[in-house]
Amino acid sequence: MDRNETAERGDGHARRRRLSPLAKRIFDERYLALAKRTDRMFAVLLIAQWAGAVSVAVWLSPYAWSGMERVVHGHVYAAVFVGGAITSLPLVLALRQTGATSTRYVIAVGQVLWSALLIHLTGGRIETHFHVFGSLAFIAFYRDLRVLVPATTVVVLDHFVRGMYWPESVYGVSNPEWWRFLEHAGWVAFLDVFLIMNCVQTYRDLEDLAARQAEADETREALVRTERLAAIGQLAASVGHELRNPLAAVRNAHTYVARRLAQEGMDARIEQFMGIMKHELEESSRIISNLLDFSRPRDVEAHPCPLRPLVDEAITLLPALDGVEVVNSIADDLPAPEIDKDQFRQILLNLMQNAAEAMPKEQRGVVDVGAAGGGTEPWRITVSDNGPGIAPEHQDKIFQPLFTTKTKGTGLGLAIVRSMVERHHGELYLSSEVGKGATFTIELPPGAPLGAE
Amino acid sequence: MRGIRLLLVEDEESLRFTLAANLELEGYDVVEAEDGEEALARAAEGDIDVVLSDVRMPKLGGVDLLKALKERYPTLPVVLMTAFTSEHRVDEAIRAGVFTVLHKPFEMDAVSRTLATASERPFVLVVDDDGACAETTAAALGAAGIAAKAVFSAAEAITAMETGVVDVCVTDLVMPDMDGVALARALFAAHPRVTVVVFSGHDVPHMMQHAAAAGAFRCMRKPLHPWGLARVIAHARGES
Repeated sequence: MDRNETAERGDGHARRRRLSPLAKRIFDERYLALAKRTDRMFAVLLIAQWAGAVSVAVWLSPYAWSGMERVVHGHVYAAVFVGGAITSLPLVLALRQTGATSTRYVIAVGQVLWSALLIHLTGGRIETHFHVFGSLAFIAFYRDLRVLVPATTVVVLDHFVRGMYWPESVYGVSNPEWWRFLEHAGWVAFLDVFLIMNCVQTYRDLEDLAARQAEADETREALVRTERLAAIGQLAASVGHELRNPLAAVRNAHTYVARRLAQEGMDARIEQFMGIMKHELEESSRIISNLLDFSRPRDVEAHPCPLRPLVDEAITLLPALDGVEVVNSIADDLPAPEIDKDQFRQILLNLMQNAAEAMPKEQRGVVDVGAAGGGTEPWRITVSDNGPGIAPEHQDKIFQPLFTTKTKGTGLGLAIVRSMVERHHGELYLSSEVGKGATFTIELPPGAPLGAE
Repeated sequence: MRGIRLLLVEDEESLRFTLAANLELEGYDVVEAEDGEEALARAAEGDIDVVLSDVRMPKLGGVDLLKALKERYPTLPVVLMTAFTSEHRVDEAIRAGVFTVLHKPFEMDAVSRTLATASERPFVLVVDDDGACAETTAAALGAAGIAAKAVFSAAEAITAMETGVVDVCVTDLVMPDMDGVALARALFAAHPRVTVVVFSGHDVPHMMQHAAAAGAFRCMRKPLHPWGLARVIAHARGES
């Protein structure tokens, strides 16, 4: 069952509630299971009815003498062939396309056609008409009131047409009143009312159940995520702490040795290696700073901070990347939001660097930084690129710590960015279409200064 | 002329040795101590220009050492260093009058510059055409252990910069004659290393924008909160 079918079914229930995507998925799964289960029960019933009808025909219909031969009554052939005809399509669909919406329509029609055949085979006995009620009730197992429509229509049409041309087949008498089919239709409608009410109610119960299940699942997942984050944070903090001082000592020692060697002169190889050491030490420091930023977020020191110059400043800090142009399109007269300048410099730098690094070599990349807001409007700062975009399956995970699609990096960058934005009582969104680029939006609440004493 | 006499307090030997060696290379006269208590004893021997101390140490920690030193030698500049990104004791240190707090690991050049500036015992210039406001702010900074002087116009500020050691200038944006943006530009032209913090009680996004573009370290809003300002000043002094 795909989304469209669910949506269509939703239209049938006028006041369908809005379910969260997860709740909708759970609901769809459960509804599909219910439809499949009902399809299978009908498959068994259809076969049983066929076998039953053949035995009824053989047992109840007298052998007719036709001249010198004993012949099988027409009812037996009707049971075998007509019964086979109305059983085969629903049966095949029930087994081959279990759970599909079309399957249940075909089954519903097949089932009421069986009622018609059984009524005929029993010579229009009024008791056999109860089969119609049983069938409709069974069809309501689908919890889909729309399936009752073709079933009911077929019953009424059948009564009307046979009542006109072959009344013995349906009423057991040759001269029924002209309105007899209306009486039958009335009772069928009477039953339908209850079945429809029941369908709607059970459908809503299913939705409620799915919504509750989704809520429970989400709570549990959030808990697992929080615990995992806390564990990572603790590890990061202790590793970072333990490594910081030794690293600082090594850096100091390196600085000293480099200076002394520079005074005394060194050969090219040593100079090169001293350079490598310096670079790698700085890289290690940066990684440790990231770990500590992640595990012990800094307090927000908010002051009015004009964004345009801040973006200009961040651009100068961006490592040069070939073929990528960074555009600062923030208006000159944009008011200054109250933010922590250092943290926002880092946020902007990180988002711009991600965007620039995602750019394929052969493409002329553009990273655009924009901002709007002020007064009573929330602040919206956007970093957009025209790169390859972010695959839908990565979009949820991209803010999770340790998730990275890059070959190099700790996978903490965006998690840190998000935690810094959240410390500003803001939110970080991503919108991206594969092949067209990605836009990260930071939304900050309007007005009142944040965090400032 | 003798070198700057630095008291270096660090419990980790490897860090202390390497730091001392580098600072000696820079021309400092380094006195080492491995905890706060030893540092107090060394300071009592006299003649210290500036103190560089770790925060976390056995016996007497850096913040307590700072308090003890400020009590005995109120004008002695103390620079703290820490390995933690968010050290809740940083606030306590700012209230006790720390010159600045450096975050490990740091660039040797930056530390050396910061210590040299600190040893000159610079003061903060507060510029506001609202005289009472300038005086109150300067007095509040003084009470927080930050030497500060109030002046009431940009012209006075430029003169004060020539005559005294000023490393941070806190200026109002909206002033008659010469506004804060023009002052910031003039100061940067004459003293490239000065830090400028601008503030305003008016809604002047354009001026803030221009001040920030000219290189102002922070924009702030009036009324200035003394501790908020002290934090910004300590922060600026660590980024020299």
